[in-house]
Amino acid sequence: MLFRRYWRDAWRAAFAITGRRSLADDVAADGFERAFAALGRFDERRPFGPWLHRIVANRALDLLRAERRLSDEELPDTPDSAPSHAAGDRSLLVAVADLSLERRIVVVLRYGVGMTPKQIAEALDLPVGTVNSRLARALEQLRESLEVEHVE
Amino acid sequence: MSSELERRLEAMLAEAPEPDPGAGEEALHRAVRALRPVATPRRGLRTAALVFAAAVVLLVIAAGSLAAAGALHVSFGAKAKPRPATTQLVLPQGANGIAAVVDGRLSVVTSDGFRLQGLPVSAAALSPHALFVAAGIGNSLVAMAPDGRRAFSHPAGGRVVAIAWAPDGFRIAYVVHAGRRFVLRAIYGNGTHDVVVDRSVRPVRPSWRADSLAFAYVGGGGKAVVYDLRHEKHGVLGSAAPVTGLAFAPVSEALVVATPGSVFLGKKKVATGEVEAIGWFHGRPAAALERGVTFPLVRTFGSNGRPSEAFSVPGRVVGLTGGLVVTWTQDKVLAGWRTKSVSTLLKVRPATSVDDVAIG
Repeated sequence: MLFRRYWRDAWRAAFAITGRRSLADDVAADGFERAFAALGRFDERRPFGPWLHRIVANRALDLLRAERRLSDEELPDTPDSAPSHAAGDRSLLVAVADLSLERRIVVVLRYGVGMTPKQIAEALDLPVGTVNSRLARALEQLRESLEVEHVE
Repeated sequence: MSSELERRLEAMLAEAPEPDPGAGEEALHRAVRALRPVATPRRGLRTAALVFAAAVVLLVIAAGSLAAAGALHVSFGAKAKPRPATTQLVLPQGANGIAAVVDGRLSVVTSDGFRLQGLPVSAAALSPHALFVAAGIGNSLVAMAPDGRRAFSHPAGGRVVAIAWAPDGFRIAYVVHAGRRFVLRAIYGNGTHDVVVDRSVRPVRPSWRADSLAFAYVGGGGKAVVYDLRHEKHGVLGSAAPVTGLAFAPVSEALVVATPGSVFLGKKKVATGEVEAIGWFHGRPAAALERGVTFPLVRTFGSNGRPSEAFSVPGRVVGLTGGLVVTWTQDKVLAGWRTKSVSTLLKVRPATSVDDVAIG
């Protein structure tokens, strides 16, 4: 069944983008609801996963942007509870959370979901060059953050 | 080319936490509900507002019809221009009525000759002897009398996602999706005395005890809970979680409980495997277990929980009810198997969603 197969990955992608369980629940559920409602328009020759991730990523972006507009300030990006993996690479987790929303989402889709820059570009409706430049700048910012922490 | 930083990112993001089972259940419910015969394109707020307004108008028409005439006007379904999801529903031999929700649309046939097809609902249940049909329509719980004698429409405060009519017919337990929570309520069978039983439950159909003085439901923590109406007490039953199905025995106080991987008779585990359905089959606790590529296996158990008999049935088991096994194959819903007198209850289009089948 589609839901059983993709729910975990969709939720984890939503969590990686939003950093909060409650938001991930909403985003992933909403993504599935929208995907299932639009199944009639889905091209069955194409894989379902990337299509679902695209919906989830866009929903997460919409939600985070709306939240930012409402609060008129930067989001509380720190995860609401330290996940188990945080102990192993907490500095990297914090650095990723410090990325801007635009950079963070391309990092998550590239390294968390495994999408290619071209797929990310299609999902976010951006030129591939923009995706590549955001990825490069995000990696540069992450390296700087980790180096600063290392020096300190 | 993968740098050390990129490898660290992949490793970190690969170890994200797991979703809560409850979130998955709610999401699944929402996703399945979204499976509509005709998907409405999302074209912005204006379209959404128009759709909402149209839905409100249809609900008002439906509620008005019910209130004025005390009967359901099947023209309600015609206004929504439903695509027929099923062929004619067939009443099994000896049954008082059958209700099926296919692609979110309710079809009912009773021995009195009442027929209904294509009413959009969020949940439905037959009363004892199929004298009434309760259904979630919009944000209301609506009871329909097949012969038009009585009906009520009660505002539920959200979408009704599960309904269970007590064996004595006096009460209805139902679960409402209110905001981000599921709330369990109970109401008299005439639509009065509506009370909240639990403000945080799972969207699983409650099951009434044979004496109608208690019912089981799944609490917010995913465990089975028995609510005693006489003493207004809630008692958690066992530690199995997350419970996905409950079924009280038709004549005793025994309760069958299902989790995604196990079946319990009371607190005792009696079977393991992916559970498709649980219920009571000719007085014995029964469970349908999925077996991958082969047909599901229906097992029955003795009162001590020991396996009693087992047999395979085609398709996916959607109900063990009224002494019948109800299965859903690619384009049919079938019932039978005890006496080899299998009958087709209805034919459905391939790729439709058979949400529920109840036989009374």
